[in-house]
Amino acid sequence: MKQTLILLTATVLLLDVANAFAKDTYPNFTVSGFGTLGASGTNTSQLGFRRDIKQTPGVTNNWGLDDDSRLGLQADADINKSWHATVQWVARNTTGDFLEQNIDWAFLRWRPADDLDIRAGRLGFDNFMLSEYRNVGYAFLWIRPPHEFYAGIPVYHFDGADIAKKFATSAGTITIKAFGGNSFLQIPTNFAGSADESFTVVGGKLAYEYGNWTARLGYSYSKNNDELSALNPLLNTLNSEAINTVWPGAQGLAQRIATKNRVAHFNAIGLAYDDGIWLAQMEVSYVNSNIASYPSVAGGYLSAGRRFGKVTLYSLLGLSKSLSKRITLSDPLIALPALSQLHSAADQLINGNGVDEKSLSLGLRWDVGEHIALKTQWSYYWLGQNGTALWRTPASGGPTPDAVNVWSVGMDFVF
Amino acid sequence: MKKLLLSLVLAFPIPSAQAELVVITHISNNLNNLTAKQVQDIFMGRTRLFPNGKFALPIDQSSPLRAEFYQKLTARPVEQINAYWARIMFTGQASPPQQLPDDKAVLQTVRENEGAIGYIDKTHVDNTVHILLPLH
Repeated sequence: MKQTLILLTATVLLLDVANAFAKDTYPNFTVSGFGTLGASGTNTSQLGFRRDIKQTPGVTNNWGLDDDSRLGLQADADINKSWHATVQWVARNTTGDFLEQNIDWAFLRWRPADDLDIRAGRLGFDNFMLSEYRNVGYAFLWIRPPHEFYAGIPVYHFDGADIAKKFATSAGTITIKAFGGNSFLQIPTNFAGSADESFTVVGGKLAYEYGNWTARLGYSYSKNNDELSALNPLLNTLNSEAINTVWPGAQGLAQRIATKNRVAHFNAIGLAYDDGIWLAQMEVSYVNSNIASYPSVAGGYLSAGRRFGKVTLYSLLGLSKSLSKRITLSDPLIALPALSQLHSAADQLINGNGVDEKSLSLGLRWDVGEHIALKTQWSYYWLGQNGTALWRTPASGGPTPDAVNVWSVGMDFVF
Repeated sequence: MKKLLLSLVLAFPIPSAQAELVVITHISNNLNNLTAKQVQDIFMGRTRLFPNGKFALPIDQSSPLRAEFYQKLTARPVEQINAYWARIMFTGQASPPQQLPDDKAVLQTVRENEGAIGYIDKTHVDNTVHILLPLH
C-alpha cells in the first residue's frame, strides 16, 4: 500500500512537471513502448514451464500465450538539461497486485555532470546483464532471458536510490554503480496463493565496455525483513508444545524454515561480444542464501549467434544447480494423518525448492521490420534429481519427467 | 497499430539510391571537424558533449536516409541500432535523438540551434551550416 502511494505520487508529479513545462522549449515529454506476443508449449502435462518463478501456472502440452506475452509503456520527461523522470509499467503474467507489481520504473534522475547519474524512486535491480530489460524482448536475441540464469530471480525492481559514474578512457568506458533500497515483491506459493516479501537490497556493479566487448561484475545483498505471512500458521504449529511432544525436533524445523532476517547474496560475472555479424554472451552467477525455501544455487549460460542479413541464428546452453544437500526430517512419534501432512509441508519447504537443470536451445531471430522481430526457439531441458523449482508442479503431483521439450514462437516490437 | 502494419508491409527492404551524407552543425560552432567515432558517441548517446565541451543536440531523421547514415557511421544495419536504443531507452539511461522528417527540417533546426548536430544529403548542404564529417 505504501509503495502504491509513493508510485502514484511520483506519477502525478511526473505528469505535473510535464504539464507545467509543456510550453517551454526544453521539457520534452515522450511516451514509448514495447511488447511481445509469444506462444509456447511443451511435451509434458506434469510440469508447467514458466519464464520466471513469479509466474503461475506455466505452459504444458497445452500451449499458452502468457509466459512471454507482455506490453510495456514508458513515459519520459526531460525536465531540463539535468533532470529527467521516467515511469515504466509492463503488463504481464506475474503474481501479486497487477498495477503495483508491474511498475518497474518510477524515478527522477539528476545528471549534474555528463558522466554522473543519481536516481531515486523505483529502479531496476541492476545485478545481471539483462536485469534492467528482461521484459524488452526486442532488445535481446533469445525468445526469453536464459531460463537457468534468470527464471530464479524474482526481483525486477526496488524502491530506493542509485548512483552511477562513468569513466571514459581511450581504452573503453568504465561504469561504477551503487544502489540500495527496499524491494517489495509478491511471489506464488505452493500452499496459500501469493506471499508478500520485503527485502532490504544493497549492491553494485562494475561494467567495462570496449569496442565490441562488454564485461561486468554485479553483486547484491538482500535481507528478508519480514516473516512470510503465509508461513505463520505452519511455523506456529511446528513451534507449539503439543506438536513437539509427539514430534521432537519440530521446533528446529520451524527455525530452519523461518525467513525473517535471512540473507541472500547475488554474485555475477558476465561477458558479451558483438561485432555486427557474430555475437556471443555468457554469464555465471552464484546465489549464496540461507533462506531454506530459496536455497543457494550456481548457474550460468553461454550463447553464440551469427547474423545473416536480417536473420540471426543462435544457440544457447544453460546450467543451474542448487548446492544444498537434502535434509532428512525426523519422523513424528505417532502416525496421524494430520502429523504426516505437517511433515510433508515442512519437507516441501526445506527440500522442495531445489533447482537442477541443463538445457540446449536453438533459435532464430528475424528482423522483419525496423521495429519488429519474429523469433522462434526450441529448447531441450534435462531435469535432474535435485529439484524443479523453476517450473510449476501441478497440484495433481505424480512423477516429473527427466527431460522436456519447449517450443516457442514470438513477435517483439517497440513503438 | 498502423505503424505495426506498415512495418509488416515494409518488411522487405526497398532499395534506395546511395547518397553521400554530411554531418553538419551550427555555423558558429567552432569545431573544425569530428571523427566518425566522435559522431558515433554523440548519436549513440554515449556523450552529450562536443569535444570542445559544448552541449550537443543530435538530430536524427525518420527518412530512409536514417538507415544509410547508421550503416555508414557504424557499419551496422539500422535494426541493430534500434535494438541498441530499445535497451538504452527502456533501461532508463537515455533517450534516442529526436527525429525530423527530412533534410529541410534538419537544416532549419541546425541553423537555429548552436548545439545541434545532424546529417543530410550532401547535395542539400549550403553555407549556412558547418560540415563536421563527410560520410561516403
